[in-house]
Amino acid sequence: MHGLSDLVLPAAGRQRRAIYSDPQVYAQEMERIFGRCWLFLAHESQLPNPGDFIRTFMGEDEVLVIRQADHGIKAFLNTCTHRGNRLCRADRGNARAFACNYHGWAFGIDGTLAAVPLEKEVYFCEIDKARHHLVPVEKVAAYKGLVFGCFDPHAPSLDDYLGDARWYLDVALDAMPGGMALVGTTQKVAMSTNWKLPVENVSGDGYHLGWAHAGAMKAVQSLDFSGFAVGNTGVNLEGGMSVAGLNGHSVLATLDGKSGYSFYPDPREALAYLAENRARVVERLGAFRGEKLWGSNINFTIFPNLQVLTGLNWLRIYQPRGPGRIEQWTWAVVEQAMPDALKQQILENQTLTFGPAGLFDNDDGDNLASCTEQSRGWRTGQMEVYTHMALGHSGPRPGLPGDIAMGIISEHNQRHFYRRWHEHITAASWADVPRYNVNGLDDQAAGAAGVSAA
Amino acid sequence: MTGATVTARRSVSAMLAPAAHLALQQQLYYEARLLDEERFRDWLALLAEDIRYRMPITSRRFRKDRGAPPAVGAGFTFDETLPRLRLRVDRLESGFVWAEDPRNHVRRLVGNVEIWQGPGPDEAEAYSVLTIHRSRIDGEERHIVAGRSDIWREVGGVWLLAKRDIALDHSIVPDSNLNVFF
Repeated sequence: MHGLSDLVLPAAGRQRRAIYSDPQVYAQEMERIFGRCWLFLAHESQLPNPGDFIRTFMGEDEVLVIRQADHGIKAFLNTCTHRGNRLCRADRGNARAFACNYHGWAFGIDGTLAAVPLEKEVYFCEIDKARHHLVPVEKVAAYKGLVFGCFDPHAPSLDDYLGDARWYLDVALDAMPGGMALVGTTQKVAMSTNWKLPVENVSGDGYHLGWAHAGAMKAVQSLDFSGFAVGNTGVNLEGGMSVAGLNGHSVLATLDGKSGYSFYPDPREALAYLAENRARVVERLGAFRGEKLWGSNINFTIFPNLQVLTGLNWLRIYQPRGPGRIEQWTWAVVEQAMPDALKQQILENQTLTFGPAGLFDNDDGDNLASCTEQSRGWRTGQMEVYTHMALGHSGPRPGLPGDIAMGIISEHNQRHFYRRWHEHITAASWADVPRYNVNGLDDQAAGAAGVSAA
Repeated sequence: MTGATVTARRSVSAMLAPAAHLALQQQLYYEARLLDEERFRDWLALLAEDIRYRMPITSRRFRKDRGAPPAVGAGFTFDETLPRLRLRVDRLESGFVWAEDPRNHVRRLVGNVEIWQGPGPDEAEAYSVLTIHRSRIDGEERHIVAGRSDIWREVGGVWLLAKRDIALDHSIVPDSNLNVFF
């Protein structure tokens, strides 16, 4: 076993490759990251009615997320408390109760053990059903529609966990009345990669876009369905920023307020929606977020495995399946206030670009799989990989929380992702995990009131 | 005998004339070979201008599920028109799709072919099962299985594909890319 502390050198931007394939490191991740962090369970829009449920995962633990009669949301381990069978075998739906296929123990949507077959005849009415309710996930909480669960009773509140990342997340979740919604059904793809590689790729790797996706870029830019000059919205992608230092969460954003839609074959409807509602969003979120962020291409990463992309409009989680395997789950993201035609167009475009046969998504899988494989060798396992681009070229910006590097091409966010990973993997409990919001909003309010964003 | 059972019987008169039937059956195998050989432009020439080529995204739900369907639909892995399919071919032929270089082994097996008269006078329904075998780097192999429901249209003595609905038989897409046509 490696010393855990030397697997990552955050300040230098170096990681030992063994972190992508060592089973013992993976076991530590299950305990110290997936067993400890707040993990995405569902979006409230997926569970509109009592009895609506989704079967998902927290690490490798299977979880049922269920809308309750009182409209609250609960989550339980999806396992029968009798003999340990999987309880629910459907991906999603609406149910009044869940009966185990093995012996028929039946549980209510609130997790209570409601019925045991032959309770009188074979248990002699001696079974204490209250001791066999479904096991709830310790903590469930929501932030503006995003529902998270956490196994660790000592974890900070969800609000504290998200910290000042919320200020940015609100661009996705609260720009317009009604907030965000997920549309379409879950797009599931099995991939031969360690879970960290796709997360850090999307968190900050603007570097690979022009090369790894060159084929799709070339094809999409040749597209001209309707005479609209594509390439696509005629925007300058150089203006962007990489924001990290927020409890391990990060934001990669362009700053033009429209480039999120630059990969759309015909972005006119989306651009019209942005123009029509811009003033309203500025009113709700202020000038910087309303003008520069809303409509931009933004990759939000919530540690450890949730990503929300506005513009490209998808939400994704990476479900670990051992050190070298994941299931990648994706949904299309819309704003509730959008007209149905635009929501439909977004779902179509999201699947075209980043669905299971997505023009762009299909370029990433083999690279991530190969990075994983190239960590398994006796010799390669001892090697390092580098995220040291633009090291030292970051700092605070007035009015904006986080440690910020300019541009969308740097390895700033990836570096911070591994820093957070390292902080968790070396900590025995939450008491040892540092919490920080670099240039935090509270600090700014206290120290530099009145300074507005550039 | 119930009405449904009788309706399920396909009459001999629902068949195509032998030559047309054979030509379309040949076309299904020919199409598979064109794709195996990466003759994508030739494959595009077998498609009707108004083609709809779709593979819906599905989820596992209880048979008696009472849940509402997704608001704007479940979405499609492929929801293609001819320009979209050309776009995919443009990408594959761009020279920049690194996952396809070196060339991978790809072979299709078309089976359970059924051909019946179609909805229009010059149209035929064709049902088939498609297995795609992909052998990529080293020992990495994938078998992808799908059912296909097609409408083919005879135009000037040539069968053109007008509609294809593809049912992918995997709960989880078993490969990290679908750089293949079904």
